[in-house]
Amino acid sequence: MNESHSEKPFWNPYLAGMALGLVLLSSFLIMGRGLGASGAANRIGVAVVDAIAPAHVSANPVMASLKEDGMHPLDDWLVFEVLGVFLGGAVAALTAGRMKLGVLKGPRISSEFRLAFALTGGILMGIAARLARGCTSGQALSGGALLSFGSWVFMFSVFTGGYALARLMKREWL
Amino acid sequence: MIFPFDSLSAHHREFGLIVAVIIGFAFGFVLERAGFGRAPKLAAQFYLYDMTVFKVMFGAIVTASLGIVLFSQLGLVDLRTLSNWATSETFLWPMIAGGFLLGIGFIIAGYCPGTSAVAAASGNLDGLFAFIGVIIGSFIYSEAFPLFSKFHEASNLGHVYLYDLLHLPAPAVAAAVALMAILCFRGADKIEEYFSERLKRSGNTEFEENILPERHSRPARQSTFATFGGLALIACLTLLLNVRPDASHPSVLTLAQAELGKRVLKEPWRLRIIDLREREACFAARIPGSECIPLAELSTLALGEDMSGRDLVLVAGIDLHEIPAAAANYPGRVFILEKGFEGWKSFALSAPKHPGPSSSPDEIESYRLRAALYSSLTGAKQAPPPPPPAAGGGSPKKKSGGCSG
Repeated sequence: MNESHSEKPFWNPYLAGMALGLVLLSSFLIMGRGLGASGAANRIGVAVVDAIAPAHVSANPVMASLKEDGMHPLDDWLVFEVLGVFLGGAVAALTAGRMKLGVLKGPRISSEFRLAFALTGGILMGIAARLARGCTSGQALSGGALLSFGSWVFMFSVFTGGYALARLMKREWL
Repeated sequence: MIFPFDSLSAHHREFGLIVAVIIGFAFGFVLERAGFGRAPKLAAQFYLYDMTVFKVMFGAIVTASLGIVLFSQLGLVDLRTLSNWATSETFLWPMIAGGFLLGIGFIIAGYCPGTSAVAAASGNLDGLFAFIGVIIGSFIYSEAFPLFSKFHEASNLGHVYLYDLLHLPAPAVAAAVALMAILCFRGADKIEEYFSERLKRSGNTEFEENILPERHSRPARQSTFATFGGLALIACLTLLLNVRPDASHPSVLTLAQAELGKRVLKEPWRLRIIDLREREACFAARIPGSECIPLAELSTLALGEDMSGRDLVLVAGIDLHEIPAAAANYPGRVFILEKGFEGWKSFALSAPKHPGPSSSPDEIESYRLRAALYSSLTGAKQAPPPPPPAAGGGSPKKKSGGCSG
């Protein structure tokens, strides 16, 4: 862990929270939209399927609705926003000395298991985000800031779900 | 209302997409610097020894909500219009179930969808796998949609906001959330300390290397609390001083008798007409479809909660010079009927004078309307209007619909 000394420490969480809030506020003011992530993942999936089997996308009304009027599924505000998230995350990690290929996990689990868990958890979140009309970014954060009732219910539910399973998943993290 | 810049979504769409990348860049940058690109740090939230997730998220919500509420109080943005556009409607049970499932996915994957993107971008393969998982999960949902479709649409409450449920103005709710956050943050600091001490005593020393240090700073904490407190106070003060020059109703809108007459006949479902005269007078004769609510009782209607999107038309005896306070927070447009009910009497409840054959098309049009109103309201038939003037040289053609033009 010698190289970790060259890493910059993380921002103070309160200041980071305010900074994130200002980003969200500018998004509301300039574009009239909140931040999001899972919606873009959905569109990327549809675009991939569309490239392999376009007939399959057209046959599924939920997926077909993303390419109405001949629009490409990726031609959407949210996809460009998430492209920015990747760029911003990469630049931030590079400039803080944290850009490193690897697998992050607790000490008592193998990398293979960790990756399998990451994929499984991701799949569950993909399903959940569709059902809830958004994830922690689009629903909890953006809707929560606009004081939407459903977003607050969703947020409490996310924490409840996480805490409910935390004990069982302890080996993955501690 | 100045913000948001509508043109970025319509005319200058390409530029809007560039803005999307810039905003996303800032989003990803802040998330990474907050430590959200590392699963062990995020998962620590659920073992209570590092509450960064809670602090950053709640802090961001408070900052953005106080900000947007203050902009709205200054009349620069219409809070409800923006919110209806930027948020989804509330689907109560799907959101409870979806939230619970997302929480489960979060502790298994160690990321939420947005942070998995940041993790992948900073070289963490687990983040990449989680993001690919989100893509696969969304695809599964689309494939299996027929199974879920009924539950997907269940318990739709429409657009509901905390300030609707609490019957409080939005700035008061945002201020209350900010104060709650300050209290919760103090608690979170204590919880963090307690649980990390406990982990150390149990012999686990590796966890600290995994969550990496963050910049602990008392001044940062105190200045954040002071900022939240200060903005919350300002939000409340704007309510007391009533700084908002009726942001959504910049001036008194008057509705002409002819306009009301037309709309009563053609689209009564888009109007909510309230007759403010004394009950007896109103019951004796009123505009069709109107409610009889004397001015003093107007506040009992809770007009601020009418989400029907109809235009509100206030009818007084003669003229009403300003919108009563009880109607000022009506979410839609508020009109005052020109010359009040007296004006209506002479416009719609008295027989129109038959225009001569030499009258202009406008006069004939007005006669048609008044005749239609008069006959439908009183039951008395009126003579048909004169036929259009014979097609002479250069006679003005009657305005026709867009099709033939």
